[in-house]
This record gives sequence, structure tokens and C-alpha cells, in this order.
Amino acid sequence: MSEGSVQQNPAERSLPAGDRAALAILVLFTLFVVAVPGNNLPAVIAYGAFPLFVITSARIPLRLIMKRLLVLSPFVLFMAAGNLYFDRQPVFKTGYVLVTGGLVSAGVIAAKSFVTLSALLLFSHSVPFHRFGNALRAYGVPEMFATQLQLVYRYSFLLGDEARSLQKARDLRSFSGKGKDIRTTAQLIGSLLVRSTSRAERIFMAMSARGFGSSFPVRQKEPFTARDGILVAVAILGFCAVRIMFIP
Amino acid sequence: MHMSDALLSPAVGGTFWAISSGMIAWSVKRTAMDQDGRKTALMGVLGAFVFAAQMINFTIPGTGSSGHLGGGLLLTILLGPWRAFISLASVLVIQSLFFADGGVLALGCNIFNLAFFPAFVAYPFLYRTIAGNPLSSGRLGPASVIAATAGLLMGACSVVIQTTASGISALPFGTFLLFMLPIHLAIGIVEGLVTWAVVVFVVKTEPSILDMQQESGKNRSLVPAVFIAVALLTGGVFSWFASSYPDGLEWSMAKTSGLEELEGHDEPVLSALSSIQKKLAFLPDYGFRPSSETAGSQEISATENPVNPGTSVSGIAGSMMVLILAGAAGMLTRSRVYRTENAGE
Repeated sequence: MSEGSVQQNPAERSLPAGDRAALAILVLFTLFVVAVPGNNLPAVIAYGAFPLFVITSARIPLRLIMKRLLVLSPFVLFMAAGNLYFDRQPVFKTGYVLVTGGLVSAGVIAAKSFVTLSALLLFSHSVPFHRFGNALRAYGVPEMFATQLQLVYRYSFLLGDEARSLQKARDLRSFSGKGKDIRTTAQLIGSLLVRSTSRAERIFMAMSARGFGSSFPVRQKEPFTARDGILVAVAILGFCAVRIMFIP
Repeated sequence: MHMSDALLSPAVGGTFWAISSGMIAWSVKRTAMDQDGRKTALMGVLGAFVFAAQMINFTIPGTGSSGHLGGGLLLTILLGPWRAFISLASVLVIQSLFFADGGVLALGCNIFNLAFFPAFVAYPFLYRTIAGNPLSSGRLGPASVIAATAGLLMGACSVVIQTTASGISALPFGTFLLFMLPIHLAIGIVEGLVTWAVVVFVVKTEPSILDMQQESGKNRSLVPAVFIAVALLTGGVFSWFASSYPDGLEWSMAKTSGLEELEGHDEPVLSALSSIQKKLAFLPDYGFRPSSETAGSQEISATENPVNPGTSVSGIAGSMMVLILAGAAGMLTRSRVYRTENAGE
């Protein structure tokens, strides 16, 4: 779990779109990329231009995004490998290299993952979590769910630190792997659970003292301005243009 | 088991987005009735606890590898199905949007696969039934292991179905299933053992934590409806893709006798029974009975067109019959147990 996403960063101020518009563009972008047929690698690469544009225009450090992208999900790699193995139909030959249908479709799966995840990471890097919660509320997501998201996010860092400390303490007392077994670890997790519930009680009392009912007070709904509307329209036009140019 | 956007078609992703959003809205409606701020804080912290608990690795005996807790069943045991579903869904939303674990479009599928099955199927049907009410410490182990394993296996099957239905992967359905099920069986058993050990620890140290969820008794009313929906989906749609090859018994008979079905003797009793069976079977061989006009015409092979309305109807009918029989058997057993318990008092 990275703590970078809770720190303030310059990209939060440099995104031209509001949070609601950014969320809408992210969802639309994902839909357009996912709708690219399974053998059209150029179209997926062309869609990659959009995240690249945001990275350069919003001055988001490319290193941060690349570091996260390098750890592609093993599940995606497994599925791409499956295509390589099961689809050996030759598509074309360049020199001595025979390109099969499986190679193309595996490339498309990997490229789609890369492009959609980079858009996701850009979003998470640019929109702080409390603003994301407000954008969801503005889209009509139930208040209870939005509150729940914010509480889980907030306390995951706190309990994450506690879990790390517990694990470190256990590891320091374990020799040759002894003491890292399921039973000992389950007791560790149980202890974390007991601590978490007593923490929840204290949190509730502290929140009640500050006037908390069962949801966070929101001063005003995240507005969807005319500028946001124009940006979403421009994005849709851009996505459609790529589709028309690259998908016959 | 988090799915990625790259493996889904917009239709499959969109459908599961709609299903999962509906389930969240429904769960919020069910839990919002009590307006209990204490439980809201508890749900938030326990959701974060799942995040934190996933960081603690343990050694898996005999493999040299390590694993971590998934937490779906544990959260349901602590919070009850509705609150656990909301909490698990919020964990998955954060994992997807802020840690790039799973995709935006795949979020609906991930919520369905990782939160729906443990919360609404494995917990009420398996865990609570086996563990008993009040909790029996001797049955906690089997309850946790069976429920966690079943929940994970159902999720894994769902991943295979969603991926195959999307048509992105070249992996054949059967091969994919054979890859997914054994590994998730092993993961499920480990998950169940850890869940069991954590619950035992909590029972010994802070049993009041397990009394926090008191609504599970009421929630069981939803579950039969959900099961019926799953049965309809399985019988009505997935049965199209059932193999037309002989089953294990037919295969063995074909190998030994050269015939998939053995011919019966010409005994009058057997002939009469066979004739009654033919008259009663309204969907012979899992399809519609051929009409006199179509009986002689050539059938389209299953590989050319797997979508067969006859198979759907027989799948649905079969599922419903099994559900009715299981429900009736359960009610009979329950009334017998009730009578025995009352007699003992």
C-alpha cells in the first residue's frame, strides 16, 4: 500500500477538469479501450496517447506511474500466455519471426491492461480521496457507501502501520521460519481485529463528540461546470476519432 | 483473483456493474434502517482491518510459499451479510481506483466474485448451517473451511464464466476451469483455516465481537431468491455449453462394452417401466421432445449452435426441481429436529 496517494501533489491542482468530469472521462476512456477488438494492437497503442498527454501536461512524474505499471497482475499475464499457447494460427511473418494470432491477442491484452491501469493511476494520483468521495456523492452514490469508502481509506493507513509493526515484531522473534505458521499468524490477525474493534469504539466516540451522525457533513455538492461539460465532450470526440481512424 | 479490464467485454463488464450496483443499493437500503453511527464506524474500521490483515503473510506448510488472508468470510461473520457486502465492496473500490488492483470496468465483476459469494451464499447457506446457532466450537472448523472454500470456488467459476463470455481469452472453458479450480481449492482451504483460527482466537479473548451482528437471522430470506437466480442462470444459460461428450459412466461403458448405454433385457417389467419413464419425461435427453414433423429432420450440431432453448428449459426445470426437493428435505429435517428437541425438553 503506497502512502504517496494520500500526500498532496502538484497534479491535484494542475488537472484541467473537475473531479466529476475526471471520473466520467476515466470511465468513458476505459469503455472505449475495452471495446477495441482483440486483435487490434494499433488502436490500443493509439489510446495510450491520452494518458501520456495527461502525464506530460499535468507534469505527473512518469517514474511513479511506470513503477506501479511494471507489476502487472499475474492473472493478466496468465491469460495472455494462454492466448499465446492456444492460438498458434500464423498471421504474418517478418524476416524469421512468425507472428501468430495468439501473440497479437496476448499483446492486446497486455497493452489494454497497461493503458487502462495508467489512466487509473493518473486519476488516483490527481484526485485526493475526499474529493473522490464528494464526486461520488454528486453522482448519486448512496451517502452510506461514500462514507464507508472514506472511513476504510482513512483507517487502512492507520491499521496498515499497526499490521506492519505486528508483523515486524513476529519476524524478529521467528527463527528459521518458525513462528510464521498459520496458527501464530491467525493469533496475530485476531489480536489486530480486537484492537481494531476497540479503536472503532474510540473513533465513534470521538466522531460523536464532533457531531457525527452516520455520515460526513458535506458543505456543498461537487459542481459540474460548463467547462467540465466541454472537457468531457472533447474527450469523447477524441476517443471516437481514434476509434474511427484505427478500427475499420 | 481480481479481474482486469483487459479481459472483459463492455457487455459483460456493464452487466456485472449493474448487478453489483444494485446489490450495493439494496444492502445500503437494508442497513440504513437502523441509522447506527457506531456500526458505520465499525464497518469502516473492519474494512480497513481487511486491508491491514492482508499485509500479514504466513508460511503455507509443505509448499515453501506464503499467503495472506482474503477476509471475505471473516468480515461476514463479524458484520453480517449486508454490512459485510458494503464493506467488502468499498475495499474493492479502493483497491481498484487507488491501488490499481483490478480495473474500473472489472469492478462490478470483482465485487460480484469476491463479495457476493462469501456474503450471500457461503455464509448463510454453509457457515451458519454447519456452525449452528448458538455457535458450536467443534463445528467452527468445518464451517469455516467449507464456507471459505466454497465461496472462493464459486468466485473462481464466476471468473471463468465472465472471461469466457467476454471472448477475449483463447483459453477453452474446460481448460481454464481446470487451471482455476485446484489452485482456488487450495487457497480456499488455507483461507478457511486462518478464518477458523481467528474466530477461535476472538471467541476466547473477546467473544462480544461476534455478538455484534444480530441481523443474520432475518437476512436468510433473501438468500433463497439469490440462489434461485443463480440456479436459473446456470441452468438456463451455462447449460448451453455443457459437453456433448459422454460422461464418466457412459465413457467407461463405451470403453468396456462399445455402447454408451447398455441395452436392457426384454423383460416385461423393465419394458413397462421404460415406457412409463418415456411418457413422464417431458424433456428427454435434456431437450424438447421432437415433434412428429421434426423427428426425422437433421439436427444442428451442438458445436454449430450451442444455444438450445430445450436445454435451457430443461436446465431451469432441473435446477428448480433440485431446489424444491432440497427445500422440502430441509423443512422435513428441520421439523424432525424441532420435534426431537422439544421432546427432549
